[in-house]
Amino acid sequence: MKRATMMFKSPRTLTWWRRLAVMTRKELWQLFRDLPLMAFVVYSFTLSVYLTGSGIQTQLRNAGLLVYDEDHRASSRELIRRFHPPYFRFDGELFGADEGVRRLDRGESLLVLDLPPRFHESLHGGESVAVQLLVDTTNSAQGLSAAGYATRIIGEFGREAALARIGAANDSSPNRPMVLNDHRVWYNPNQTESWFESVSHLLRMITIFAIMLPAAALVREKEHGTVEQLLVSPLTPFQIMLSKVLAMTAAILVATAVALFGIMRPVFGVPVRGSVTLFFALTALFVFTTAGMGLLAASLARNQAQVGMMTLLAVAPMLLLSGITTPLEAMPVWVRALMALSPLRYFIDIAHGILFKGAGLPILWPMAVSMAMLGVALFGFGMWRFRRQFR
Amino acid sequence: MNLRRIAAVVSKEWREVTRDRMFLLLAFLMPALWMIVFGYGLVLDVENIPFAVVDRDRSALSRDYLHRFIESRYFDFQGYVAVEEAADALLQSGKVRAVIVVPEQFQERLSAGTGVGVQTLIDGTFPLRTDITKGYVIAITAAFNEELLITHLARSQGLSRRQAETLARPITPEVRYLYNEEVRGTWSIVPALVMFTLMVSSPLLTALGIVREKETGSIYNIYSAPVSRIEFLAGKLAPYVLISMLNVIILWLMALLIFKVPFKGNPVLFLAVSMMFVLSSTGIGLIVSLLVRTQQAALIITVVVSTVPTILFSGLLFPVSSLSPTSRFLAHLFPGMYYANVCWGVFLKGVGPEVLWRDGLALVLYAAALRLIGYRLFTKRPRS
Repeated sequence: MKRATMMFKSPRTLTWWRRLAVMTRKELWQLFRDLPLMAFVVYSFTLSVYLTGSGIQTQLRNAGLLVYDEDHRASSRELIRRFHPPYFRFDGELFGADEGVRRLDRGESLLVLDLPPRFHESLHGGESVAVQLLVDTTNSAQGLSAAGYATRIIGEFGREAALARIGAANDSSPNRPMVLNDHRVWYNPNQTESWFESVSHLLRMITIFAIMLPAAALVREKEHGTVEQLLVSPLTPFQIMLSKVLAMTAAILVATAVALFGIMRPVFGVPVRGSVTLFFALTALFVFTTAGMGLLAASLARNQAQVGMMTLLAVAPMLLLSGITTPLEAMPVWVRALMALSPLRYFIDIAHGILFKGAGLPILWPMAVSMAMLGVALFGFGMWRFRRQFR
Repeated sequence: MNLRRIAAVVSKEWREVTRDRMFLLLAFLMPALWMIVFGYGLVLDVENIPFAVVDRDRSALSRDYLHRFIESRYFDFQGYVAVEEAADALLQSGKVRAVIVVPEQFQERLSAGTGVGVQTLIDGTFPLRTDITKGYVIAITAAFNEELLITHLARSQGLSRRQAETLARPITPEVRYLYNEEVRGTWSIVPALVMFTLMVSSPLLTALGIVREKETGSIYNIYSAPVSRIEFLAGKLAPYVLISMLNVIILWLMALLIFKVPFKGNPVLFLAVSMMFVLSSTGIGLIVSLLVRTQQAALIITVVVSTVPTILFSGLLFPVSSLSPTSRFLAHLFPGMYYANVCWGVFLKGVGPEVLWRDGLALVLYAAALRLIGYRLFTKRPRS
């Protein structure tokens, strides 16, 4: 401890830090003066977070249902009524069997329910009856989900009708053996989608900016030849790289604070159950690690067009496969293995842990350590390449 | 318009693109690589949800009930937990996403013919996963209940098992899946990926190509050359349109040969609409490049205005019909949704212009509008 303070106070290290500070300030100025870029930073962390948080629905909503009712009795009408919003949208009745497929072809509706003649009679006469359901599975996930809801509704309706007939249909105090499932959804009891989607979007934006801004900034110096000027100055390559990362980290942390406390908490009521300090500290670590990927790309690229393509090549899989858009559990094993290289895969657990679950370091440390190790490796490798190029 | 001058711009631009080997390689590698990674990797059907169990009853019937979860491919059993507090910690660390708590007297009460409550604790951080988990739990419990009910009815009402079954399950839903009869995830995702990869890669190619001239100052050669605005833009964009069209064909072949997705529609229609889409997506790159000065800004802005809306609003992951009204409106502002509809239409549905004309027309208008805006924005007399 004593030695560290001494080192910090020695004139050489002081100059070292001062130089780093000057360079960081230069980077920040360069960033702030790019007005179109700043406008998009502001947009991405405010309006864009709002639009995504309020707009994205991942659960089944508004699935268009067409009905070909060949019976038109009380039972069929009652069953149709059970397909209700927000899950289903009644798109009208059909007057022929072929019309259904034609309407599905046009993609206006998602399902066709075909109720046979004598539906009511069969149901009340104790016969078993088949109903047909046509489902558009062009989008397989949506189609399966709609089919699942629909068969559940039909099954429950049938069972109730049958049990009512024999006088045994009181579900609240069943006089028959039955497992009553009682769900408790934790951390987000009402399953408010805006919480998840706005956090996901924030992480998405942090990732894009953290990887691309420093990468482009570094390659720009290479492309313009200004990096030669920097290298003949008393600055070390490490300082040149670090100053870029520090400047971008500072800008991103401020933007994150604006998104969290200006949009997500007041508008959507996103909870911050854990420590705010820990959240920002780990966000900084995440930005640092992700920036390491950008710097690595920057050391491989010769111009900004190349670095843009390289970083995008890595960013798109990170955004789609790290678990912020679709659950990681769904992914094949090799994707999950590949995503061990994505800092976002760790940070999503950290962000959800701190914000929603109120978790602290005792639970989150494995994620934080993995992320830090990844960051050091990326940074170190990028540094090594960068040094070798200019020697 | 002078064709020779356009040809000159094209050849200059083409040479610039092809001489940057890395850039050229990435321009073709990126879409193909993404097609492979996302085509195999982007699975949307949630399975293997990790869960733990607190079994307070430890009876034959409780094991029977829990086995339905343990053996289901939708769940991934992580083990028994003795107390609920330990389950809390597992949920909090994200090691499990659900915990099923079976109470004491589970078997006793069911055998006595009464209801018994089973509690399921579900991690709510990811509403989609929560919803799907809930759905699986409901479905498995319903199947178990049906079994109980059949046995119960057969015994109490003195019915044969067959009669009891009819009583417990009077309506049989016969589900028929259309267009993707075996409900294969890859068939759904691959046509949409043709849209996604192009929508993300081609605006970036274009934007970087034009801003580079602005940033390095070589654009001043154009300002002082006799080439007119329209000639310059046409020639400048041509290589990027060509690269993107080649990518359309590569992705198309990949979809057919590697992923074995059926192609039921008209190839000419597909290529024509793809051309309109490529003109739209490169148009976005053009507009961005005319508004900014640095490649850094062009890079970020293109990603923010093309990649992000394409992930969110194109229908690739979230069906447009489920979005909120505002987002549905936003979805209509980006070309991705229209082209995704066309891709699904020609690959899986086999529908023709009678259905797809609206999407095609939207893309034509989009391409034309972007060109017009680009033409108005581009000036050979910069203000500063």
